[in-house]
Amino acid sequence: MEVKNIALLGHKDHGKSTLIGSLLMQTGAATKVRIKEAEEYSTKLGKPFEPAFILDSFTEEREQEMTYDTTRAEIKHKDLAFSLIDVPGHEELIKNMISGASYGEVALLLVSANKSEGIRDQTKRHLFISRMLGIDRLVVAVNKMDTVSYDEKRFNEIRGSLSVFISKIGFSPNSVRFVPISAYKGENLVRTSKYLKWYKGKPLIDEVYRFASMKGKPSTGMLRMVVQGAIPSDSGELVVGKIINGSLSMGERIKVLPAGLEASVDEITVKGKKVHAAKVNENVALKLDRSSSAEMRGNIVSAADNPPRLTDFIRSRIFVTGRINRKAMSIKFNGSDISCSSIKVLRGIDPTTGDVKSMKEVKPLDAVEAELRLARKIPAERYEDTKELGRFVLYNGKEFTGIGTIV
Amino acid sequence: MIKQELPALEEKSIYVIREAKLKFKKIAALWSMGKDSTTMLALTRKAFLGKVPFPVIHIDNSIDFPETYQFRQDLAKKWNLDLIIAKSEIKPDMVGSACCGKNKPEALKKVMAEYGFDALIVSIRRDEHGVRAKERYMSPRDKNWKWDYKNQVAELWDDYTSKLDSKGHVRVHPLLDWNEIDVWRYVKQEKIPVNPLYFSRNGYRYRSLGCTHCTVPLKSNAKGVDDIIKELEVTKDEERSGRSMDKEREYAMLRLRSLGYM
Repeated sequence: MEVKNIALLGHKDHGKSTLIGSLLMQTGAATKVRIKEAEEYSTKLGKPFEPAFILDSFTEEREQEMTYDTTRAEIKHKDLAFSLIDVPGHEELIKNMISGASYGEVALLLVSANKSEGIRDQTKRHLFISRMLGIDRLVVAVNKMDTVSYDEKRFNEIRGSLSVFISKIGFSPNSVRFVPISAYKGENLVRTSKYLKWYKGKPLIDEVYRFASMKGKPSTGMLRMVVQGAIPSDSGELVVGKIINGSLSMGERIKVLPAGLEASVDEITVKGKKVHAAKVNENVALKLDRSSSAEMRGNIVSAADNPPRLTDFIRSRIFVTGRINRKAMSIKFNGSDISCSSIKVLRGIDPTTGDVKSMKEVKPLDAVEAELRLARKIPAERYEDTKELGRFVLYNGKEFTGIGTIV
Repeated sequence: MIKQELPALEEKSIYVIREAKLKFKKIAALWSMGKDSTTMLALTRKAFLGKVPFPVIHIDNSIDFPETYQFRQDLAKKWNLDLIIAKSEIKPDMVGSACCGKNKPEALKKVMAEYGFDALIVSIRRDEHGVRAKERYMSPRDKNWKWDYKNQVAELWDDYTSKLDSKGHVRVHPLLDWNEIDVWRYVKQEKIPVNPLYFSRNGYRYRSLGCTHCTVPLKSNAKGVDDIIKELEVTKDEERSGRSMDKEREYAMLRLRSLGYM
């Protein structure tokens, strides 16, 4: 069964973990032991049954009713399995949120309809980050409808004001759906709800399915392979790595950058077997007709006549999660750590409005457009063209400081 | 239990295993002779053209089942494994987490220091336990072997941690995405040898294998791999329900893992 990764997004306490807990129960995916354990823990804390405890497994998470770190749970619907990626909604845990959401193919955003909650900065920040991570399909679950008597007006109000922001940051209106639910009461998740007669769409799980079953953006078809390194074999050294775009055939002329090697492919091995050609997402071992003394790890293989651009200067959009210390910055790019000799901030972007803003000092949770000068050249491409060669992680020394995409 | 696509799982694991071998200076893998770590070795052989290019460590407390020792001997020979046996001492009256949480990590610590390993492949899966579901594919442990679960490293896309604490090591989890049923389907597809204790004898079989002190067989008539797959398709019981230490306290696993348990 094909598994689709669904990233849950939203402000803390708007019901992400509760939703996953309820979905696990309603689809029959939760084991008896997990449900019993969640029941016992709810009782121990003197609370009514909390479906989120099926998921939140750290002691601290249950006691403080807050998700600390990302986790996953699987459910199935029709011919697909969904791997639901829970992420923490708390601002300080944005690093863990990004780690989880980076694997998402479809985003499922929760917004509480409760009058004292509604659309928050963190709601929009999560949307902004998910767009940067390349997610282009979005289901917005307007949650806690039970607390507003399943009021259609409140649902429309949230949909109206969030739609503007969603378009502004680049989601296409055709790729966005709004669904009213109550995760805690289990309404309109898997079955239609008698309290939501005014709602004409399908239950949440079907709306997620609609987007999950769609094909993603087609790739450019150009060969790109990330080289992990070289390994010995009986027939000499092999270059190993993963094809991230396009395909590769025996006899093909290739270029390995930045090493600068040009060679022909003599043999291709996939999963231990010799093959004539390999395609995207396959891990290969290549025997080339010549070798290079240069380090292989971190190189990019392309067709000899269609290589990526080699550059030490990248213009990028960065979401900042930590402090920038201009003397200690580096980027992580396809497995290599490369130091930055300079960072020049061109302008700030407010991740909660999508607007340009002036920026004297860059702080955590800001987004910026910046020019980076690197200590060495990398084979880079625009994120839009080949996402694997157009994105990086920013570090300040050992500290994770943000994510960037090349524009 | 959800059956995932085996080719996709296989590719991901091969990527992670190669990445670990090529990223770290000196790596080893834990091998308990159970189905998961044996599957990991089969995947390693696919990644490295039929070889397992790193040592495999068995933490041996001398009270594993006789079948397990026989299996170790046979497969180590067949797959030409560079086997390190780390002897763990069993103290009288120590059972459950007192044993698994202390004796085994101590034996492992000793062998890791002796050989200077900076990374260790461990074949845990997310679906085994809520706490294991929180793990990263590559997760650093500090010099005291603590898992800083409240401040885990960021892990995006295919980029795994490289910012190491100098005296610590990195735990590598290539099987994180697999479900129990996927492992058995893969065992079937690849004809991977498995410990005979997994199969039913006199109406009982072991679903999860630990040592003789703490593992209890479950009622089952599954006599072969196909029967096990059928059994898992419908079960609502947890895989580790035959492990005493998991049941001692609901958070035993969290405490154990944060202290270095595998």
